[in-house]
Amino acid sequence: MNRYEDMFGLRVFYRRLIGLAIFSAIVLLAPLVVEDLYYLEILFLCHYYVILASSWDLLSGFTGNINFGHAFFIAGAGYAGALLNLHLGWQPWLTLPIGGLIAALFGLLVGTVTLRLKGPYFASVTFCFGTLLYKLFMVSSKSLGGEEGLSGISSLTDSPLGNYYFSGLFMVAVIFVLYFISKSSFGLILRSIGENETASEGSGINTTFYKVVAFIISATIAGVAGAMYAHAQMHVGPEMAHDSLSALVLMMAVVGGMGSIIGPIMGAYLLTLVNESLRFMGELRLLIYSGAVVAVIFFAPKGLLDIFTRGIRRAVGQEREKAV
Amino acid sequence: MDAVLEIRGMSKAFGGLQAVHKFDLQVKEKDIIGIIGPNGAGKTTVFNLITGFIRPDSGEVWLKGQNITRLKPFQIVNRGLCRTFQLVDLFKEMTALENVMIACFSHRASQQRSKEEKSWKVAMKFLEEVGLANRFNEQAKNLAFGELRLLDIARAMATRPDILLLDEPFSGLDAEDAEVLSSAIRQMHQKGQTMIIIEHRLRDLLKLVERVVAIVFGEKIAEGTPQEIMSNPKVVNAYLGERRE
Repeated sequence: MNRYEDMFGLRVFYRRLIGLAIFSAIVLLAPLVVEDLYYLEILFLCHYYVILASSWDLLSGFTGNINFGHAFFIAGAGYAGALLNLHLGWQPWLTLPIGGLIAALFGLLVGTVTLRLKGPYFASVTFCFGTLLYKLFMVSSKSLGGEEGLSGISSLTDSPLGNYYFSGLFMVAVIFVLYFISKSSFGLILRSIGENETASEGSGINTTFYKVVAFIISATIAGVAGAMYAHAQMHVGPEMAHDSLSALVLMMAVVGGMGSIIGPIMGAYLLTLVNESLRFMGELRLLIYSGAVVAVIFFAPKGLLDIFTRGIRRAVGQEREKAV
Repeated sequence: MDAVLEIRGMSKAFGGLQAVHKFDLQVKEKDIIGIIGPNGAGKTTVFNLITGFIRPDSGEVWLKGQNITRLKPFQIVNRGLCRTFQLVDLFKEMTALENVMIACFSHRASQQRSKEEKSWKVAMKFLEEVGLANRFNEQAKNLAFGELRLLDIARAMATRPDILLLDEPFSGLDAEDAEVLSSAIRQMHQKGQTMIIIEHRLRDLLKLVERVVAIVFGEKIAEGTPQEIMSNPKVVNAYLGERRE
């Protein structure tokens, strides 16, 4: 047997890949069981948040540069898509990629300026950009609809089921792309930056370049997701740029486990489903929701994925001991 | 023979403290040079200045006829000058092999590798050279201190440096680990690796190097063979203090 056989945790890699394939199959087959449109809507939201949280994770979870303004890209591309649709009649197949492209350009600009600096600069600037955009949407009542936002946008597909499948396929594609990136040399370099940027630079790595590229990929995905959401809701509003959305995305990644891509997927599903299932509790919902998040962060600082994998390892270890 | 590395009149002050003052050094190919000095003499600052982690107030660093004074650390590594770190703080959550692979992804190392050669195989070769091949899949945080020093050297060597700078490689090592490290350094030198070693543990260093530069308060006070340096009264004074009459 080759001693390098499991060198990069290849068995874990393939096992997770199989896991992702099963997950994709469940996503595609779920509408056979879930027929209620309300639940399909909730699952659409889950897909949307999974895309946002896992794309956020590529830069922030891997390199430790916390992006406090993911909403900037989501809303920027959402509004861009809406305007192109309302004024030029461009349809989603065109506005989604263009939304992503615009977000990528913004990512390049913001990233080039801030990611060469170490410390809290990046976090502060991304936060400011998000807030700035929110204020801009609020005051531009003539061109951007002000507090009301913009309505009458073409729908994403013809039906909620179509929206479900579109978002589901997009989510699965994003997850696979991000997962492969995370396991590539590019992903390894991003991890090295997160662990020790000085040593990474001292190993001949142009850390700024890699961070900016990760930021552009992250922003592009968030942008396409923003435009998708705008078309699915047939409406965009300033709340899309609100820092509470950025904070929610961050929380999903933290609860699931940063720097793993899979963790944020778990976090996004969990928080979306818990939030929706507590709706009947009215105002109390926020209290329980926030309390639960704090408890998870307190008891599982590395996220739920960490607890999950440790539990599996312990179980497998016990089985092996029994076998021996 | 022309110098591969030349430092001309380099100075650096932190506030009122003159950390390095008009420091000159010439390094020729295959040289193995030691820089010694008591704690706080400015040895690590010299390394930080050469490798671009700190910008000098004045003076220049020339590598193979190119001025590298204002370049960034990663650019300097890619021009052939790499250092290890005094406080070995590598990529702790990554395996020993992955630690070395990062250096294999540098522009310089990638260019020197054929397309067929896999980066992990190259990284494994460097781990083998320092005797860590059997620990390849161990996370860096689980390695012993001596092993971490060797890993750091393997990482630096994987960038294919013309000149390797070792920052206090013996500090914190027991006699046994120091011997393992000494033999690794000797082997690299025998293969023609040019090296500069900073150290305050003189016993280990003087057995390895051909030439020694002594600095005190950021200033070079002596340069010569280990024997010359050890009998130099200025160096003895710096280490032991002046003899009372």
